[in-house]
Amino acid sequence: MARFPSEAWFKEVQEVYNSDSSLHTGGGGACETTAAFKVGDECYRIVFEGHQCLEIRSASEAELASPETDFIIEMAPELWKAMVENIQEHGAAHDDQTLNSIDLRQDDSIAYSPEDDQARQDLFYRFNQNFQDFFDASSRVETTFD
Amino acid sequence: MSEAPVREQEHELDTSWMDQMGEWGIKAKPGKRGLTLAEIQIGEYGELPETTDNMTGRPRGATPRPEAYRVGAYGVRNLSEIWLENATFLYEEALQRQWSSATDIPWHTIEPLPDDIEEAECLLCTFFNEVEFVAGDVPARWIAKTSPDFFEARHVLIAQVMDEARHMDVFRKRALANGGGLMRMSGATSGFIGSIDLARDFTEMSTRLHISGEGAVLTMFRMGELMGQNDAEKRMYRLCAQDEARHVAFGVMHLRFLCEHAPERRPEIECYLDEAEAQIMAGLQNPAGTQAETSEALAILLGGGKAHYDEGHKMLLVIRRRQLKEYMKRVQSAGFGERFENGRSSIPEQYAAAY
Repeated sequence: MARFPSEAWFKEVQEVYNSDSSLHTGGGGACETTAAFKVGDECYRIVFEGHQCLEIRSASEAELASPETDFIIEMAPELWKAMVENIQEHGAAHDDQTLNSIDLRQDDSIAYSPEDDQARQDLFYRFNQNFQDFFDASSRVETTFD
Repeated sequence: MSEAPVREQEHELDTSWMDQMGEWGIKAKPGKRGLTLAEIQIGEYGELPETTDNMTGRPRGATPRPEAYRVGAYGVRNLSEIWLENATFLYEEALQRQWSSATDIPWHTIEPLPDDIEEAECLLCTFFNEVEFVAGDVPARWIAKTSPDFFEARHVLIAQVMDEARHMDVFRKRALANGGGLMRMSGATSGFIGSIDLARDFTEMSTRLHISGEGAVLTMFRMGELMGQNDAEKRMYRLCAQDEARHVAFGVMHLRFLCEHAPERRPEIECYLDEAEAQIMAGLQNPAGTQAETSEALAILLGGGKAHYDEGHKMLLVIRRRQLKEYMKRVQSAGFGERFENGRSSIPEQYAAAY
């Protein structure tokens, strides 16, 4: 059982996502981006290449701010937790718990480019289904929370 | 037995065409993502002319045929007029992220809805059918006007036309899938949206279509997840938003390229942006604006029915702020952000007032 958020949890999700192509739904085709997640003080770097999540690991804030990062998804820990719990309960994000729905309910986008470049922030929209599929894969990961 | 005359005379086989070749010995190798267009931009085949006089449809890198007809009345013959740095990338992305409105939408999740909700959804579907016709027709006209030497950019536009066809069909399917149907046309294809097709210059068209028009529609598609009443609608909008974001990226990256390579055109581009901001980003012409029928439909869907219109309208205003902010940041990313600081653009005021 892996704790959310932790590198071990994200790596388990990566394994599930990469090992079952049925989790890559229509519209979630090849994806090329380096992004990051911020959950409170914890930072994770994720790399998608083609149909695979190539890398997911803990990272420093400085690393997230590097030009390599297209965009960062940052939410309050309680929002992350509600999303992951919802996915655990329903097998995939349900109702208003998709990344895009959560994003639209905030005053400011949960995704932003560390270089303040909207063209790179827009990659969150262009590859949205891959990120959703990735988090939906977490329904198969036994999860505990802090 | 055949009655055809038997030719007894022997002819020497003319294989002189074998000596007429472009750069030879090329061995393109697949990269990590397969043999993409980026992998074949090698040798002379990858050399982009700043200006081309290729009017014959000759594939870039092929040997010219002197007697070839001028088959293409190509108006776009300067690289800066249509190019963008990530054309090969966007094309491959478009190819690899296609989806099917027939099988990738969980249509079985649609259930009967209250009349006001169904009518609001059908109004939007009618509207999107109209505007996506424009978004397909207009780039299609420019494909044939563009020199084949810039085929990568053409390919992205061809993929866009396919995307728009799918958007038209998915919204039509939704309108006809739940006891409703199409509503009265919005007339959106007249006015500013219709004027996209009057552009005489590709960048003028792209600024209106990709940045202003599709940028605004992208926000609406993304809203689909909040206003969708079932998984079919939510997914339909989400997948359309991905496609639309790709089209917006074309516009931003093209404008950025033009800004860097033809800076003398900056004043002209500012005028296109003035025009867009005065119309599609402002009042009636903005489908997520404050007065249009479409904005009323959006508010009804966001609120959950006519009885909750005010609540839905508040949500719409929050999203409209986001729409304006993202527009400003895209224009800034393209290299025209000064207009939001020097008083030329009214968008910052609209943004501040959109509460």
